[in-house]
Amino acid sequence: MKLDKAIEDVHEAESELATQLRSVGERHASEADLYHLGHTLARQCAEHARRLAPFAERYGAAPPGGSGMTQSPSVLEALRRTGAKLIGKSEASGLLLLRDLRHLYLAAQNAEIAWVILLQAARAVRDPELIEAATECHEEAEARGKWVRTRIKESCPQVLASG
Amino acid sequence: MPDRIADIWGGRTPHAAGTPWPVRVDRYVDEGVAEADIDWVQSACVLCSNGCGMDIGVQDGRIVGVRGRASDRVNRGRLGPKGLFGWQANNSPDRLTEPLVRRQGQLQPASWDEAMDLVVEKSRQVLNSAGPLGMGFYNSGQLFLEDYYTLALVVRGGIGTPHLDGNTRLCTATADFALKETFGSDGAPGSLTDFDHCDTIFAIGHNMAETHTVLWARVLDRLHGPDRPRLVVVDPRPTRVARAADVHLPIRNGTNMALLNGIQHELIANGWVDHAFVDAHTVCFERLERIVMRYPPERVAGICGVPADEIRAAARVIGTAERLVSTCLQGVYQSHQATAAACQVNNINLLRAMIGRPGCTVFQMNGQPTAQNTRETGANGDLVGMRNWQNPDHVADLARIWRLDPLQIPSWAPPTHVMQMFRYAEEGALKFLWIVATNPAVSLPDLGRIRSILAQERLFVVVSDAFLTETAQLADVVLPAAMWGEKVGTFTNHDRTVHLSEKAVDPPGQARPDMDIFLDYARRLELRNIDGDPLVPWGTAEECFEAFKVMTRGRPCDYSGLSYAKLRGGSGIQWPCTDGQPEGTERLYTDFTFNTDPDLCEDYGHDLVTGAGHERKDYAELNPAGRAILNAAHYIEPNEPPDDEYPFLLTTGRTAYHWHTRTKTGRVRQLDAAAPEAWAEVSPADAERLGIGEGDLVRVESRRGRLEARARVTGIRDGVVFAPFHYGYWDASDGHTRAANELTMTVWDPVSKQPLFKVAAVRVTKLADAGGTPSSAPTTTASEPLIEGVPATAGGEGVRERDAQEEQ
Ligand code: SF4
Repeated sequence: MKLDKAIEDVHEAESELATQLRSVGERHASEADLYHLGHTLARQCAEHARRLAPFAERYGAAPPGGSGMTQSPSVLEALRRTGAKLIGKSEASGLLLLRDLRHLYLAAQNAEIAWVILLQAARAVRDPELIEAATECHEEAEARGKWVRTRIKESCPQVLASG
Repeated sequence: MPDRIADIWGGRTPHAAGTPWPVRVDRYVDEGVAEADIDWVQSACVLCSNGCGMDIGVQDGRIVGVRGRASDRVNRGRLGPKGLFGWQANNSPDRLTEPLVRRQGQLQPASWDEAMDLVVEKSRQVLNSAGPLGMGFYNSGQLFLEDYYTLALVVRGGIGTPHLDGNTRLCTATADFALKETFGSDGAPGSLTDFDHCDTIFAIGHNMAETHTVLWARVLDRLHGPDRPRLVVVDPRPTRVARAADVHLPIRNGTNMALLNGIQHELIANGWVDHAFVDAHTVCFERLERIVMRYPPERVAGICGVPADEIRAAARVIGTAERLVSTCLQGVYQSHQATAAACQVNNINLLRAMIGRPGCTVFQMNGQPTAQNTRETGANGDLVGMRNWQNPDHVADLARIWRLDPLQIPSWAPPTHVMQMFRYAEEGALKFLWIVATNPAVSLPDLGRIRSILAQERLFVVVSDAFLTETAQLADVVLPAAMWGEKVGTFTNHDRTVHLSEKAVDPPGQARPDMDIFLDYARRLELRNIDGDPLVPWGTAEECFEAFKVMTRGRPCDYSGLSYAKLRGGSGIQWPCTDGQPEGTERLYTDFTFNTDPDLCEDYGHDLVTGAGHERKDYAELNPAGRAILNAAHYIEPNEPPDDEYPFLLTTGRTAYHWHTRTKTGRVRQLDAAAPEAWAEVSPADAERLGIGEGDLVRVESRRGRLEARARVTGIRDGVVFAPFHYGYWDASDGHTRAANELTMTVWDPVSKQPLFKVAAVRVTKLADAGGTPSSAPTTTASEPLIEGVPATAGGEGVRERDAQEEQ
């Protein structure tokens, strides 16, 4: 049984996503929705890690590492935010935004598939508690990806077809 | 007539459940005008979404008064203070009477030709350099259907930009989205008469005693009747509605979602769910149950800051109701998790099978008088006629009626919401912004930012309005518009009642109806349809209405059976009104078939937490097929929780005497005198801790700005500060410290995109002692002072009038 591996993969993917959510939110702080939802969803990543904690213990997985789960914005992020205010007044921010959202989308998809893998494994080892936790977290993971996709679809016409 | 400033709701006419609401005719006419000299012209009030039927009194080409229409189903003759006195704004000496154009930095008089040529020249420049995506239009909740529909055709069809929104985004976007999410389309399921039938009312974030005074009079008549309905109220302020409640939950603002999940937990745990109804007529119950069962009353009590037993008591009243009317407004729509929470209110009625029958409905209330029409005409975030922008058949149908190539109509994404438009303007992508009958320089959040965006050299701003508002002062071109009473048209209230409002008098000077301004713009821009004919085929309001009927045939908001002739005399009529239902439709969904067929629905729905848009395939998979959707979500923490630096939660709102940014009501002496200046409400415990007494000058500060006003100590929840959002700067000389929106945050609901005005962290400091002068905030409303001796709000000279009955 290698569920520890699947759990560690989820941890890693969620941590990476949380880092990106925060940095995209800060870098594009003038996009108020990205800023607020970025932070809200980063907190959700931390919540997911908490939900997995008992299973990490059960299956002998390493506890979540990485800086992605920490709450307070780092000094670097504060600097980014100041930069964002300046960038926020120029039209060039659009292309930058699209690039960052594409990367964010991939990170969200990476986390989503990690949950699919864990859920499949949980079913195969017939662990009803893990099935329940993974099902609910996967539902939220799917919504995150869909949200970034929605945001990209709404933003790109303005960036690409105007001017 | 009693003093209707002191007595906001007028005398009682109590009645029992199921009996008609008695008639009481209210009127107010200028002193000294003889009844015999008055010509009465049919209309309805445009000072809130109740849309009370009224007649406009005219003498010698001038409006001299109003009276309620006894025959009207909405108000049965009654009018509130805004309706009774507000019309005087039409006669203000400072109406805009000629176009203004900015020359050498100054707004100066110009001819219509000069002003419109400039607007058209600038439009062409932007269209040539940036394309349609460089153009934005931001309109109102106070125009007429005909104005909106003309604007929607000109902008969506002619210009071809998705950047068209209404200020309804600030007031009813969440109502619109919550209805679409649950029932498949916009449109209030019930009727105002349901208040006459119900045995229980659940009001969350809806201070109807002030926002819809005549509706509260209606409810008061039941509360004073022989079979008083039970009342559950959720509001952090001691509103008149809250004081009449059997159970009042003064929750911490921003926690609606936790409370509503907790109430549903109790409904399920106590077996108060109609499972047969839920199985037959809804989808997604299992997911809802899974989520809300995580919200037992003890947990919710911790989040919301109210006792668990009170939550249980509220749920028991709702759970044992036999005829339940639930209603919500800005306390939900402008608060954290707006759409998610509004959907839970729908859920509560669905779980209890309280819909589609007399006395059983849920109201996602509107705020503005004609908000419903921006939604129906697609002058806001919707597509015309409640069509689904993601449904290619709907777009093709629209293009067929408009005689356009379907590709011309922007449908690659939802229509752009106003906060996003301002963002585009901020980054320079939007270069032309036409603002119609709304005042974003006072009404949008974080005003410092809004002013700096509007003042940019690179943004060309056109404003059409009746007055030189704070926003108009920042414009490049100002166009004088006719007001209500100065043009003919129709509008629809929050229970789908359509009213005709006739032209009573001519507009002042060169002011023109908004529809005429848009027609002129389309003509000068030479907008054409696919046949090369002029894009807009109508020239009068009535022709426009006839065209709109064609557009709505077969859609949920079917106007096809209405006409101006039919709307003349008698009462307003509720849509859908068709050949088969010629007298209109009192209640929707009486057979419990909802508008969730994928071919019919107006929207495929969203994830409530993120706003991620569902697509047709998701909707098909969900397969609601005529069943209502029980949307569920977890409570999440608000975006700006109070902390050591900013320890209070701010909430903004309105008072009974004013409308929006006081552009009209501030110019009416009785209304202005009743609430002449801004104030800030604090609780006694907070006041004591901060050393603040009644009337002391305080500063309320957020991370974005500050407000300075006199304090009013009230029974508001500890830790919460309230400030009215009405006060701006057109009648103030000092800096920017009067508007509550100096404090609010640039943040919006992820689904409805409604800005959130009810949750911001602030701190409060005392600036100066009152010196014995109390705050001038009304004493008759939620702002009632706790200490004795504050002069009571009353009408004073010119408000008392002879009793209508006495006179007859
Ligand atoms: S309740 Fe609303 S519509 Fe009726 S009179 Fe008052 S402001 Fe006008």
